[in-house]
Amino acid sequence: MTVLAKPNTKTVLLGNEAIARGALEAGVGVFAAYPGTPSSEVPITMAQVAKKCGVYFEYSTNEKVALETAVGAAWSGVRAMTAMKHFGLNVAADSMGPIAYTGVKAGLVVMVSDDPQGWSSAQSEQDTRYYAKMFRMPMIEPSNPQECLEYTKAAFALSEKYGVPVFLRTTTKVSHSIGTVKVGKIKKPVTRGEFKKDFDRYLLLRPNLQKRHRVADERLAKIEKNSKKFVKSIRGKGRVGIIVSGVSYDYVREALRGLGLSPPILKIGMVHPLPTQAIKAFIKNKRSVLVLEELEPIIEDFVNRVAKGANHRLVVHGKDYLPRYGEYTAELIIPALGKALKKKVPSFAAHKKNADNAIKGLPPRKPVFCPGCPHRSTFYAVEKVFGKDVVFAGDVGCYVLGLFEPFRMQDFMVSMGASLGIAHGMTRVSDREVIAFVGDSTFFHAAMPGLANLAFNDDKSPLVIVMDNSITAMTGHQPNPSTGVTGMGDKVQKLPIEDIAFAMGATVEVANSFSQRDLLDKLGKLRKAKGLRVLVSRGECRLITKRKLRKQGLEFNTFQIDQEKCKKCGICTDHFACPAIVEIRKKKGDEPKYWINPDNCWGCSVCMQICPYDAIRPGVKK
Amino acid sequence: MKKKVSRQRFSTGRAKRVTGKGLKFSAFFIGVGGEGVLTSATMVAEAAHLEGHFVRGIQLHGLAQRGGSIPTIVRFGSEKDVVSPAITEGDADLVIAFEPLEAARATHYASKEKTAFIIDDYPYMPVYANLLDLPYPPMAEIVKRVKPFAKDLMVFNAHHLAEEEFGLAVLGNTMLLGAAIGAGVLPLKPASFRSVIKAMPRRADDNRKAFDEGLKLGKR
Repeated sequence: MTVLAKPNTKTVLLGNEAIARGALEAGVGVFAAYPGTPSSEVPITMAQVAKKCGVYFEYSTNEKVALETAVGAAWSGVRAMTAMKHFGLNVAADSMGPIAYTGVKAGLVVMVSDDPQGWSSAQSEQDTRYYAKMFRMPMIEPSNPQECLEYTKAAFALSEKYGVPVFLRTTTKVSHSIGTVKVGKIKKPVTRGEFKKDFDRYLLLRPNLQKRHRVADERLAKIEKNSKKFVKSIRGKGRVGIIVSGVSYDYVREALRGLGLSPPILKIGMVHPLPTQAIKAFIKNKRSVLVLEELEPIIEDFVNRVAKGANHRLVVHGKDYLPRYGEYTAELIIPALGKALKKKVPSFAAHKKNADNAIKGLPPRKPVFCPGCPHRSTFYAVEKVFGKDVVFAGDVGCYVLGLFEPFRMQDFMVSMGASLGIAHGMTRVSDREVIAFVGDSTFFHAAMPGLANLAFNDDKSPLVIVMDNSITAMTGHQPNPSTGVTGMGDKVQKLPIEDIAFAMGATVEVANSFSQRDLLDKLGKLRKAKGLRVLVSRGECRLITKRKLRKQGLEFNTFQIDQEKCKKCGICTDHFACPAIVEIRKKKGDEPKYWINPDNCWGCSVCMQICPYDAIRPGVKK
Repeated sequence: MKKKVSRQRFSTGRAKRVTGKGLKFSAFFIGVGGEGVLTSATMVAEAAHLEGHFVRGIQLHGLAQRGGSIPTIVRFGSEKDVVSPAITEGDADLVIAFEPLEAARATHYASKEKTAFIIDDYPYMPVYANLLDLPYPPMAEIVKRVKPFAKDLMVFNAHHLAEEEFGLAVLGNTMLLGAAIGAGVLPLKPASFRSVIKAMPRRADDNRKAFDEGLKLGKR
């Protein structure tokens, strides 16, 4: 089971791994990305094999820079790719629009993953298919890992044939589903090229702008005529048809097999431009169709439009039977099939109700800060100094887990780096204290312009706390400029966040996240200071520390509670909430006993520092 | 003192064992993020692949890895039958809960007609038990809640045994995989698992021992 499986063998791959394999088989020469779930495993996989395969790989500081890096290579004749989550495309969109007009010389594939249901820390269920329409770019959408591989290769071919950047769109359940995949041959990449000047093409000023816009439109028309490869028409019984794209294709095929039904199916793998002729031919003799697409009714609207000329009596079902929000499941699709095909289908409602009851009243297991997480310690100290009446401007990263009990210290979370701008707006209209939290990776991604703006425009600036664990932790520990290592594992100089803040004129303090005394001291100082204030709370991600220790054959020194000294105040569980510390009651109402599970204690020592009764001590394991 | 092997079985009949053509097997794994759920599910996927099955499934990464509840799906069988990566409500053949409380969260995928449950009795206390004052239920309560969704239900103390024997509770995961095969509720061959384990980068020996011990536990 490996992305480097031998040619013409079968292996089991994650959708995202299959995309990486597809890129390698297409001879990608440059791959640049900023990690974002659900697309993260594409760059993670690339990073693992880049050196071996002779590909240049980098983690760029954000999606826009990543796209631009890929564009520079593609303009110079080197096949290039980037991958991002749906929000990442919002960041990269500024450059994506013009690139769609200029086009590319070598293949350029932009993988973008939508997240209906919000499995990642997504703040909207945006449907990126609209970007393809807006930018006049082709977008193809695989349904499973095998197609992930094939479509990625096809995307490069399409891109080069028409000189156009191509979107490869997935959703969470395509990116994160596994499947048996037949692989082809990995191609040795071309990694050197040269940019050839061409003012008419690369300088988008009018009247050139309109010319290039027209080129983009004409390209699309040609692509639509040649999109057969991405459309599959499966014959079946009856005059009710199914039109489907994305992961729903696999859901519906298995559901129909289970139900013993076989209506005709039109599977659409190119979501922009949509294949007019194939749709026309499919709906011609149909009474009705059911369109299965997650999120917005883009295909459904298109089918309605085509039907006006081709079969005006056609009844089109889609969002009338299925929701526009969240992701599709077999449990949603099967009843819709029942309605559309007028067949009796099993209902899941009773079973679902019983299962819901089986969980009722049980404690939930929401994600939490890991044991020993530096962020927990920082939040704890901030609450000590500022209380909870201040506004906590949240941002994107592991620290967003501070939104859960007992901290509740992220009052909103909008997008990368948004905490600073929003906090600034608040301090302009109110005297209430505002604290903006931002991580190290987010700092370099999008917070630096916000910080410069605070220096420029805000004399009573919010307090900015940089939660610096020196890694992009939430998406799987990718390096960033504060790490000191590149995406290919080469050592580089760390970019010190405190120096950047200082250069912007801020009063800066650096605290050790694992020392409450240090945190309280520096926070106290900054509270009294005036103007732009930045605290860099620095503590290595505990998972990284854990890995380092393991490599050396070492373990954490754990802590234990002295039962004689413990006054059962509950601070370590109810206010600090480390998952290693457990409150044990034989039954409800009993006097509790507090205990540190040595298996889960990652030795940060902060619980020892906050215990008011000095009851926590370094302890012998078990 | 050596820990006693504990194995309780609450069955209304053995789960059906399907082999050969037309096989469509759906396994649901659930546990706590960071506790090796993904690794175990991947082992099953690899073993199924080695036996020539077509494999599908779902692995959710991201936020789920931070101590949250983490569900993973592995399905295998013939390419014609195993199309979807997901398990439909009530359609799992096997649920392995690496943590007792998480077993209750698998009931959506399980049903009295077909599902075998393998549950470990080693609790990982969620901080929300304290914070929301929802006490962690005793094992008997979990069994009571899960039983209406199980054709076969087995509770093991694999993590306790693994902790004692190898000093590493997480090896209990591999033991549970062995137990599932030993008990006849996971239609894969021990030899396939042994090959998968052999290629593991770390602790291959211990994993193999844990697996073999699990096989015995399951057969008892």
